[in-house]
Parts: sequence; structure tokens; C-alpha cells
Amino acid sequence: MAGWSILTNGSGSDSAENTGAHQGNGVLSGGGDSVEEAGVTVDNGSDSGGHNVKVRRFFDKVLSVFLKAMGEKGVFRPIPAVVDYRKPVDLFKLFWVVREKGGYDSVSKKRLWALVAKESGLGVGASTAGVKLVYLKYLSELEQWLREKRFKDQTSGNGNFRLLSLELESEFRDLFSDRFDWEGKNGGLVQLECDKNGGGTGDCVRKLGLTDKKDLGLRKCKSDNGENAGKNDRHGDDHLLVLNSSFDKKDKDCKRKRESLSGMLKWLSEMARHSDDPSIGIIARPSKLNEHEDKEFWIQAMRAREVLLQKRQVDPNNEESLLQKKLKMHPSMYEDNNAVNRQSIERSRCSARLPSVVKPRYCSCCNPCSSTPTKLMSPQKVELENEPKEEAAVEVDLPALVKEVCPSEDESIQKHVSVGPLSQADVPEWTGVVSESDSKWLGTRVWPLECGERKVPIETDTIGKGRPEFCDCPVPGSVECVRFHIAEARMKLKLELGLVFYYWKFDRMGEEISLQWTAEEEKRFKDIVRSSLHFGNRKVRRFPRKTRENLVSYYFNVFLVQKRSYQNRVTPIKVDSDDDESEFGMVGDRFGNNAVNVSGSNFQPCIQNKQCIDVE
Amino acid sequence: MADSHGGASLPSGPDAKKRRVSYFYEPTIGDYYYGQGHPMKPHRIRMAHNLIVHYGLHRRMEINRPFPAASDDIRLFHSDDYVDFLASVSPETLGEHTFSRHLKRFNVGEDCPVFDGLFGFCQASAGGSIGAAVKLNRGDADIALNWAGGLHHAKKSEASGFCYVNDIVLGILELLKVHRRVLYVDIDVHHGDGVEEAFYTTDRVMTVSFHKFGDFFPGTGHIRDTGVGPGKNYALNVPLNDGMDDENFRGLFRPIIQKVMEVYQPDAVVLQCGADSLSGDRLGCFNLSVKGHADCLRFLRSFNVPLMVLGGGGYTIRNVARCWCYETAVAVGVEPDNKLPYNEYYEYFGPDYTLHIEPCNMENLNSLKDMEKIRNTLLEQISRLPHAPSVPFQTTPPTTEVPEEVEEDIDRRPKHRIWNGEKYDSDPDEDEDEKPRNRSFGPVSVSLPVAKTEMRDVKDEMEE
Repeated sequence: MAGWSILTNGSGSDSAENTGAHQGNGVLSGGGDSVEEAGVTVDNGSDSGGHNVKVRRFFDKVLSVFLKAMGEKGVFRPIPAVVDYRKPVDLFKLFWVVREKGGYDSVSKKRLWALVAKESGLGVGASTAGVKLVYLKYLSELEQWLREKRFKDQTSGNGNFRLLSLELESEFRDLFSDRFDWEGKNGGLVQLECDKNGGGTGDCVRKLGLTDKKDLGLRKCKSDNGENAGKNDRHGDDHLLVLNSSFDKKDKDCKRKRESLSGMLKWLSEMARHSDDPSIGIIARPSKLNEHEDKEFWIQAMRAREVLLQKRQVDPNNEESLLQKKLKMHPSMYEDNNAVNRQSIERSRCSARLPSVVKPRYCSCCNPCSSTPTKLMSPQKVELENEPKEEAAVEVDLPALVKEVCPSEDESIQKHVSVGPLSQADVPEWTGVVSESDSKWLGTRVWPLECGERKVPIETDTIGKGRPEFCDCPVPGSVECVRFHIAEARMKLKLELGLVFYYWKFDRMGEEISLQWTAEEEKRFKDIVRSSLHFGNRKVRRFPRKTRENLVSYYFNVFLVQKRSYQNRVTPIKVDSDDDESEFGMVGDRFGNNAVNVSGSNFQPCIQNKQCIDVE
Repeated sequence: MADSHGGASLPSGPDAKKRRVSYFYEPTIGDYYYGQGHPMKPHRIRMAHNLIVHYGLHRRMEINRPFPAASDDIRLFHSDDYVDFLASVSPETLGEHTFSRHLKRFNVGEDCPVFDGLFGFCQASAGGSIGAAVKLNRGDADIALNWAGGLHHAKKSEASGFCYVNDIVLGILELLKVHRRVLYVDIDVHHGDGVEEAFYTTDRVMTVSFHKFGDFFPGTGHIRDTGVGPGKNYALNVPLNDGMDDENFRGLFRPIIQKVMEVYQPDAVVLQCGADSLSGDRLGCFNLSVKGHADCLRFLRSFNVPLMVLGGGGYTIRNVARCWCYETAVAVGVEPDNKLPYNEYYEYFGPDYTLHIEPCNMENLNSLKDMEKIRNTLLEQISRLPHAPSVPFQTTPPTTEVPEEVEEDIDRRPKHRIWNGEKYDSDPDEDEDEKPRNRSFGPVSVSLPVAKTEMRDVKDEMEE
């Protein structure tokens, strides 16, 4: 199963959870947080005049160079980009809209992706996660590059854009770079806020968009079969996980919510996102802040990072993890008996999973012996180099570093079980006295039937019997055949169960419930499901005669059954009843007609399905 | 290890006895809907029920519709304000100030959305598990099933991981009214953090969780988290890695549980059967087959201790239905055909339409060495337990003391205490391949302690 193997790739397993649920809740919870969370002022100025042809052409040019450069790194991005598996995305428009709203971080923070989707012409129905993903994959690095340009000497060309003529570059920059929330401003605010709150601990409750990034990172991981992209993504992901595990002890973290903060965290997440970018060092940009504390902070962060890198280098498992991108050894086996050392071990566990492909780049940043041009280094980095290289004693050093960076955190990184009256259940001492249980809990007995309720003994199949090996149908295995046998089985069951058949609502199971639907309603339902699947008020309103339960029931009992019926006969390799989002090729019809009408293909058990391998 | 495919023939271990099985099913459960794209689909419980009935397994069980747990019942574990919130919130009122400010506090909104009928769903789930506990308490059943239960992440005043009300904790609290010690076993791919936390400081409940650990929700379940205070060493965590297969799982599960049963001697066992540890799960990363998964139930069943079996996770719904149907069959002592009977959801199970699933060929990242180390660490932890703690050397009040006014005959059989070692009338269509088996359970020997023989007279059965 293709989907499975993708899922199991490295840390991708959690991602389905995250993304799946994320999609599910976007509608419900989106916008639930107030604007005050966004620590940066929104640039609301309208700039509609920019959509001229010239700019667009220009953008296309730059983007193509950019994508080509990415292609050379082994990250391939097909054009046109699509969202929701079919809608092509106008990248220029998307870039422009996001730019207007202050850039990726700003949009994520303010949860404007739905709006972005709408404004960039994708319609309201487009999945916000999809749009965000496209942006992240195609455009965020471009944005990143623009940001850097803003603050850096233009002479220090980024590797990606050496291909670009200087002229082109500066023109492009002039056109596009004016709207983003700049890192310096942004980071400064973060710093300030954290200072206010006593050193950037878990006190400031402010979303940093980190969760979203994590989701996306993971999602990329899952969705992207491309090896290199996968590596990079996972790399980023792991960094976030390191962060999460170190910062969120107090957090109420669910599968994707991470509220943790401090500018450092943000910076690290940024770093994780662009892990393979040699210019990463400038992100924190403490020189702009001119504050000694920030310098300290930054230095510590750099040291922490270096430690991580060295850790990776000394890791004996490195070769294996390079080859397999997976941890061979069981995580807990890295444990030693010293509980104090646990957090460092935790780290090693995470970092051991980092694919080392990106290592050289990292090292070129941090390792003074490397031949990488030092122009990328900021003054702080030079300072760092002058630090005695104590970091070699990684195991001992790291906890201390972490503590320094995050002083008010408990020294333990690993999530522990909370103890106290607010956590545990009240378990009474055992007294030996058995207290009586309320018999209401026995509920309503439904089966077996009371004596006499059953009129005649009914002949039934033996318990545990499956379907017979053969049947007399003209086309065994066809939709008609299966429907006939199901109807037969239902009749039998009805006889046996009597009223219980209705009590258990067997009358409301299976395709038969479509009989309560008109052909018109069924068609409308299918159309709507294709565009978006949500049985919220919006949809219910379009079916005045149906309740929400009706719709849910139709979805699971008819729609999915028919979809699967189609998949089983036409695309048996790709079988998925649980992916609500994917496109399906159902040529469904009303119950009683041929739901699946593939002439001549009845019961060709193995038609290779190649159409859906790439989606997920 | 012993043959890992031993699941094919039913009687396992020293039992092969028929159990009186009680099963709770809420007919409306399949209509609850978490929302668009949400992986948790209560419809899977309806699918499982559908399969169970089409296989005719209901004829071996007593089936009840659960009594919905009221707010007051749920408060036996959960905090007042949290329960009030759950009972009153709805998608329509979500935006109101009174609710919106609570969302974060109770962790409701993202993984755990507010959906239509949320509280009704919680009531049904909790009511089923409490009902199952009462069934066991009264001695009406030997095994009680509630596939709508098993929501192990819910905390005292916080929702988590698709779980709002911790039906398991409520069920165990009910069991503790009659049973001195309860063992909780969790084979969901996620750590059973909610249950572990609830009973972290007591020795009356021992929790054992087998789960994926490392970069995985919920992040707890470290092998060194073993309990606090009187509960020290009464929480057991088995951290596993991706690709866990039947054989490896069994190689850990059996010896560890064997030893726990020996040393802890629980009076009742609760098994959370989260089906996301199956191969091909949408969120999980293990590689268990249905048989390998059900082997856990088969093994626990063989101890003849009152057993509550609950659902849990499971996000590839066709496999969830397969798994829970098969486990129901294991509970009642039937080996169902692999070819599924025709049923309303038949097409979900294509293209092969079989009950069992093949594990995929993913890499198993759990090396034998790691497994051995984990096993030894945990066996060592178990050996630190005093034998049968919490008022030792005193017998459980015999279950016969429980009033027997409700004489519910399953299959019109005379009522027996299964753990008396009495013989059942053999049923023609089962037990035919019942024969004494002396299975090897890995490094631990099969023999059970002779203490408390009134509970499980294994020897007698072995000689059958």
C-alpha cells in the first residue's frame, strides 16, 4: 500500500494525525484566537496597482530560476502547483497576496490562510492547509531570500540566486520586498515581550505559528515522496520536535498545538524550516537589537546548535541513519542510568534522526575550519569561534545550556506525569466491604430475546460462518451480485432479529438508505462532497429536508460504500475509506441502478491503479 | 517464541472455556461525527457491530444498550467545571464568551473539536464502560465488551487526543468497588496517559501500556515512568518503535503480562484494544495483524479473571471493524471464517473481502536486542513488587456473595463461575479442538501461582 509506506517514513507517522485533524478543525476553530496574539502590526495598505503584467512576467522569471536552483538541490517542484489535487494555483497571485499580508509568518500567526486562499482566486472551498503547503514549498524560500536581502549586503549572494543577474535581483527586490514584516522588527517584538515576561519562559502565551509550521513540515514529509525534500523536511521537523520537547513541558500540547515561546524558539523554528540554507545564521540578527542580553542569548543558541551538530557527528549510528533515515536502535536504549542526563539523551535521540545530508551545510556555518566563505558569518559568530571549544563534552554541557537558555523551565525535558489532586482519580482504600452497584448501569437488555418473543425457531447459519465460496450469479463479484447477497443477508437477519433489527438500526445501515433520497438530492450531495466535505450548517441548509444525521448517515452508508465499490473494481491498489479529502472517480448512480458501470471490467481483480499514487 | 500464528485455532493457553460475554452497544453511536476530515469516526463501531451480527456472534452474548452516564457519574473522575462545560457546549454556542474562554483551558477545539451531540457521545461511551464494570462486579459476565469505550487520553479536567471523558477510569473506579486490584492493559499505539495519570499514585490499579514512544503523541510513557508514592512500580510502560510486528509484540506482551498476573494477581483486568496498532493504520506505525492484536485478548482471556474489553483508537476504519469483530469472536470462543459474510458495509472490505489483514513489509525498527533489554528492565521492575499488594493474604470476597437476583441465562446454560474451574457443557461447535496445550510463553514458565486457586484453577483445566 503506497499510502502506508509513505506514512511510515521516519517521523511521518504522527503527521497524518496532525494534518488529518488539522483539516478537520480548521473550520471549527479557525479564527478562534483574538488578534492580540499577533504581536506585529498588520500592513493594511492596499496595493492593487501592482498586478500588472510586467511584474507578473518578472516574477515568473525569478521563480523559474529559483525553482531550477532548487531542482539542482534535488528538490523538484512541478509547475503548475496544485492545491486539493486539482486546482492550479496562481503562484504570483499567491505570493502577492501573502506579501500584502506581511509574509508567511504573519499570515500563519493571524490565521489568514483561508483569506489568502480566497484572495488568490482559489475560492472559499480550497483547503487552507493546501494553500499554505503550496506557499511553503514554492514560495517561502523566495520570501526568506527577500527578507535576507533587505538586511544584508547585496554582495553576499545567496547560493540559490547566483544565477540571477544583479540587476534583475535588485529590481525584483524593489518590487516585492516592501511588504513583509521584517524579521528584525518581528524578532525585536518577540524579544521585548519575552523580556517583559521574565526571560522568555513559558509565560507569554503567544502563538508563534510554530504549530502550523510543524504541521506543514510533517505534512510535507508525508506527502512528498521526493527523497531530498523528505530529508529536508524531516530535518526541520526534528528540530521542532527538539524544541517542543524542551519547551513544552508545561504546555497543554495536543497533537498539534504547541504554545511555547521566546524569540529563540521562533528563530530555531525558522532555522528548522530553512535548515539547508547557509545564511541561516542571520535569522536571529541580534546585531540589530544592540542589546547585550540578546547577544548572550544568541550566543547560547548558537552554542546549543553547535552542540547539536557535534552530537550528530559523534553519533555512532550516523551512518545508518544516513542510509535509512531511521533510527536503528531503540530510543530508550540510549538511556543510561543517570536520570539527570536524560534530557541530553532525549536530544541525542532526536538529533540522531537528523539526516546527515544537510550536515555539511550546517558545519560550514559553525565550523571555523570549513572553507565556506566567512562573509556569511555575523560578528557574533566570530565571537563564538573564539569561545573555548568546551562543547565537545556534549553530554554534560547540553543540559546546562538548556537551563541557561530557558532558566525557569524545569530541568527535565521529558514529559512527566503530573501528580496532585488535580490529576489523579480518588481511589478509596480497600476496605473489603463490597458496595452495591446501581443496576441502572446494566442498561437495556436487547439480546437475547425474551422467551416467547421469538415465534418460530429460525434456521440460521452457524456462528462465525462467512460467505459461501461460490454463488450462482451471472457475474459473480459484480455490483449486482454483491447487492443481491447483501439483500439476502439482510432478510435473513431481519427474520432472526425481529424487532431488534430495527432497534439496532439495521434498517438504517447500508445503501438502502439512499431510497429515502431523491435522485436530485443525491446528485447535489455528491457535487458538494466533491467540493468540500463538511456537514455543517452550510451544507444542511442546502438540503432542507435533511438533518445533519441524515447527511452523515448518507455519507457513510451510501456515498463511501459506492466510492469503495468503485475503488474495489477499478482501482484495487489504492483503497482508502478514510481519506475524506481525496478525489475519487466514482460514476455513481442511484441505488438500484448500476452504481459502478465499468463495462467489461467486472471482476478483473488486478487493474493497476496508477492514478492516485502521488496524492495523499 | 511459540507459533505466532497460533491464533488460527481458538483454544489458547490453559483455557478453551466458554465465557459468559456481555456486550454493550449504543445503536446511535455511528451517527456521531467529529467533523470534516477528522480521523476519529464513531461509524467504525457501527461497522464492527454490523460484522459481529452478520457472523452470528451475538448469539453467544448478552447485548445491552448502555445507560447514558449522567454528569454526576462522570464527576466521579472529572472536575466539576470541565463536566459542566462538556455538558453544555455545542457548536452553536461555541462562540459565546462563556464557552470560548474555556476552550483553551480544557484543550477543546483542535484535536478535540466540539461537535453535535458531543456530550451524548461521551455519555454513551462512559455508560457502556461503567455498565461493563457493573456486569463484572455482579458476576453476571466473565467478559464485558464496550467498543465505544477505551478513550484513554482524557484527563481529569482536560480533553486530549480525541478523548473527552475517560470511560476507562470511570469503569475501573466502578470495578474497584468490588475488586481489590485491577490491572489495566493498553495496546493502543498511543500511550494510555490518561489512565496512567489517574492511577499513578495507587497500587490498587496497575497500568501497563504498550505504545510507540519517541516523537509521538502524547509524548509520555517513558520506560522509567513507573508511578509515584504508593503507586511506585505500579505503572509499566513498554516503549516501542515503528514497524512492531506480531512476533515481537507477542514476545514482549506474553512474558510481561504473565509475570504481572503472577505477581500482582489482579481481581479484574481491563484491556484497551486500540486498533491503531494494526498494520496500515492511518495514524499508527505498527505492523500488527488482526490475529496478532487479538492475541493479547486471547492471552488475557486465558487467565480466567473477569475481563473488561474496550475499544480505543483506530483510524483505518475497515481494519478497526475487522479487528473488533474478530476480538469479539475470540471473547466468545469462536473462530470465524476468513471470508466475510455479506453485510451492509461489505464494500468497505474490498478488494479481498476478508476478515484478516496481511501485515505489510515495512521495516521493523525494534531490534531483538532492544526488545530483550526492555523485557528484562520491565520484568525486573515487576519483580520489585510485593506479591499481591494492597491488603495481602486475604481473599477476595467470593463473587458468589454478590446478589444473584438477576439470573440472566446466556444460551440457557446453568450459571457457572468460570474461575471455579467447573466444567461447562461443551458446545458442539466450539471446543472441538480443545486439547491440553502446554504452550511456551517465552522465558517465563506457564505455571501460575498456586495462591488464590479458587480464582483460576489452571491445573484442572490442563488435565482436561
